[in-house]
Amino acid sequence: MFRRKRTASDFSAEIEAHLQLEIERFKEQGLSEEQARAAARRAFGNVMQAEERFYESSRWLWWDHLWQDVRFGLRMLARNPGFTVTVVLTLALSIGANTAIFSIVNALLLESLPYSHPERMGAIYTQVTGPVGSDERHHLNGEQWELLRDNVPALISAVSGIRASGVNLEAGSQVQYVHAGRISAHYLDVLAIHPIIGRNFSDAEDRPHGPKTAILNYGLWRNAFGANPKILGQTVLLKGEPYAVIGVLPEGAATPLNADLYTALQPSREGEGSGTNFESITRLRDGATWPEADAEINRAWSLRTQRYELENNPGAHVMFYSVPLQKAQTARLRPQVLTLLLAAGFILLIACANLAGLTLVRVMRRTSEVATRLALGASRWQIQKQFWIENLLLALLGGAVGIGVSFLALRGLLLLLPEHFLPVAGVPLDGRVMGFTLAASLLTSVLFGMLPALASRNVDLRSSMASRAVAGGGSLRLRQGLIAGEVALTVVLLAASGLLIRTLVHLETLPPGFNPNGIMTAKASLDDVRFHDPAAFRNLLDESTAAMRQIPGVQQAAVGLSLPYERTVITGGIAISDGKEAGQKAMADTIYTTPGYFGALQIPVLAGRSFTEADGPGTQRVAIVNQMFARKFFHGASAVGRYLDKDTMIVGVVENVAMAPGIDPVAPLTSEETMYVPAAQMEARQLSLLHVWFQPSWIVRTARPVEGLTAQMQSALASADPNLPFSGFYDMKDLMAATLATQRIEVALLAAMASLALLLSALGIFALVANMVAQRTREIGIRIALGSTIQKAMIHIGRSGVSAAALGLVVGLILSAGALRAMRSALYGVGVYDAPTILLVVLTLSAVTLLATIVPTLRVARIDPAKTLREE
Amino acid sequence: MPTREEKERLALLQGTLDLLILRTLVFGPQHGQGIARTIQQTSEDALLVEHGALYPALQRLEAQGWIAARWGTSANNRKARFYTLTQAGRKQLVKESTRWRRLATAIGRILGPEAKEG
Repeated sequence: MFRRKRTASDFSAEIEAHLQLEIERFKEQGLSEEQARAAARRAFGNVMQAEERFYESSRWLWWDHLWQDVRFGLRMLARNPGFTVTVVLTLALSIGANTAIFSIVNALLLESLPYSHPERMGAIYTQVTGPVGSDERHHLNGEQWELLRDNVPALISAVSGIRASGVNLEAGSQVQYVHAGRISAHYLDVLAIHPIIGRNFSDAEDRPHGPKTAILNYGLWRNAFGANPKILGQTVLLKGEPYAVIGVLPEGAATPLNADLYTALQPSREGEGSGTNFESITRLRDGATWPEADAEINRAWSLRTQRYELENNPGAHVMFYSVPLQKAQTARLRPQVLTLLLAAGFILLIACANLAGLTLVRVMRRTSEVATRLALGASRWQIQKQFWIENLLLALLGGAVGIGVSFLALRGLLLLLPEHFLPVAGVPLDGRVMGFTLAASLLTSVLFGMLPALASRNVDLRSSMASRAVAGGGSLRLRQGLIAGEVALTVVLLAASGLLIRTLVHLETLPPGFNPNGIMTAKASLDDVRFHDPAAFRNLLDESTAAMRQIPGVQQAAVGLSLPYERTVITGGIAISDGKEAGQKAMADTIYTTPGYFGALQIPVLAGRSFTEADGPGTQRVAIVNQMFARKFFHGASAVGRYLDKDTMIVGVVENVAMAPGIDPVAPLTSEETMYVPAAQMEARQLSLLHVWFQPSWIVRTARPVEGLTAQMQSALASADPNLPFSGFYDMKDLMAATLATQRIEVALLAAMASLALLLSALGIFALVANMVAQRTREIGIRIALGSTIQKAMIHIGRSGVSAAALGLVVGLILSAGALRAMRSALYGVGVYDAPTILLVVLTLSAVTLLATIVPTLRVARIDPAKTLREE
Repeated sequence: MPTREEKERLALLQGTLDLLILRTLVFGPQHGQGIARTIQQTSEDALLVEHGALYPALQRLEAQGWIAARWGTSANNRKARFYTLTQAGRKQLVKESTRWRRLATAIGRILGPEAKEG
């Protein structure tokens, strides 16, 4: 299209050369100079016409016309800066919001995972149909893993621990806290990662009690080992045990675990493998198909002795199938992100409705201009083209500013998000995002340009030249329809964000069950062979808490496996051993604690007693349960004195504490049946397993802020064990905030969009009414002259905006009734049909509508009837 | 001042000018005026080529890639734009002339043998 064409002057030169040649030929035949020139001209025909035809045949003309239109359009936009700025800002905000959200969608759902051939990688979903149905990615137990590994030849399969855990690494004299991932043999093969030096884990190293080996990632190898090329075969002290380094991963090699180093998982059906504690990933072997793989998985897993999915679900049917890893990794965030994309789409529609209204008015105002151009011979197509070009210019301008807006919005958003919240490295504004923005801009220009274009088709030459009247009743109704539509969408957004706000309020005002003020906590990894011995573990806790109590200002110090608002380990099959519930099995969150735990956190003991120093390894096994546990399993009867698992006596009942759910994850925060046991009564087998998954917390309570508290806590721990660093310090308030971070971001984003929608709707109503006032100045003047009061005139004018908004409100409420049911799974403590929310939406919208109507109608008061009538 | 003779020249049929230009260029590079003169002379002045119409046609052929153009000097040392037949132009010429011959034969058959004017 942009091929270099001849210039017009070159063409003229050629014609001139032709004429010269002809003239010379005629002169040779004996004609005079003058005669020769005339003859040459005659033979040539019309020079001008030839040049014109050349010009028209080239694409120059097309560009010239386009360029003319663009320049004219720019002049028109510049002459009307109020209109232009309003439109560009509206577009920038709406397109910017869309671009920002889309770039997240792009990074999460469209960008490929950073592995080789990610489309051949999968995760296994479990679909249960029956009285209790589910369809989700499950973790695997040891039996499932062995069957998957040995009986599914279509796949290369691997498992890992569910997440990387913090451990202590001793290299030389330094102790370093690192994230370690535990992976099976072939895990790196599934990811198609090959170490730059050394090798991946062998099958022998992945067997239970196999040799202890480790693979380092590039960063750790460089930072902790100075990129030593002779690292292979060296031993590092990890979790207190020697591990031989067998490989180093290439720079930038990503795994789902994002760990600093990897050790062999050594999975079995015992211990960790007796529960579903492994996460699997698979890669399709060359030549195999996914249906083959799925058939093999279903066959293999039907051979299991333990089919836990079917427990307490009589008549249920279970089916396994592979899902692309990309989808499985992002499943958690997909609904939220798509909801936001939908909301952003609403914003774009609302903006379009506004802009359609504005451009409609503009086109109507330009009726006489259009009529003049038509009268001067412009074709209707040329007029239409002019309008479309102006719309396109506005849309592109808006899109360009929108990219800037989205860049800022995205930076703000990523600051809001907790670290590692998004399972991707970054959210780029890449080519695909730019393409989306361009497409959105073009779509917007079509959407908001369509109505005015249609309206301007009907300009009647004679009547519009003659009269100065502008928009008729038809266009008013059209604009009211647009306003009603955008208000309806705004209502849906307002209601949705209102419900999410109510959910957040519910979660934040849940009684915590403890006193978080003045609590500082610190975690340390006890996943170390030294602390597998219960006596060493007890000593560590006793000495470190005793040392912390010596810190001036510290009132209490304690240790617990988990804190309130966190998840903890779940114990199933707790047998109730006496009373009428004897033989029943219970499932409960389980937390080991030192005696000071309830006192430090100020969790009220409702019945019986707290743990004491006397509850030790050789004494009566004891437990404390929370109120929910007591109510659920003892039905209100006193729990104190009852026995669990034959020999464990319940000695106390405490208040429920808000926890991140483990048993039934319906809400981000809830109270579950909980059992507390003394840390001093833990067995070696339990300690080694629990500390793979969880880092216990040291808790201190201070009356007022203590200078250098964390450093003093660290030295207190060092006095008990000089080689044990804390992995982090957390103010209890921060921990609580982090638990609800997802909800807070969701609320912030949706509320921001709802506010934007509300703002745009208000602008739309304002523009409608303001335009009415401007158009009807004369009519109002007459009304007032005939005895109407200013108030009556204002009501008369304002009615147009109010009635449109009212219609939109009703339609919006009806839409919400249907649409918001899809949000049910994101709502806690509030129903979909929540009267306060609906009331608030109605009130907010009414207030905004009235404001947007009254402000422009105030101009009615300034209309001077005498003046307006004289002007006619 | 057009003569009687000139008036009786045949106007070109639509699309034949392109063919004639291509044919003319078979003999080597030529400028516009030369092409016009050659067509007129080889048709023994039977065909009327308005020189002005030639240039849009040349323009079109150049855009199609059938001829290429370059500024040069004419026999009598004047600057002129010379056109050359390209490989694609040669093919086009063969195609077009075959088509034209078949068309002429077919029309000739329909019109029948030339009637003698009595």
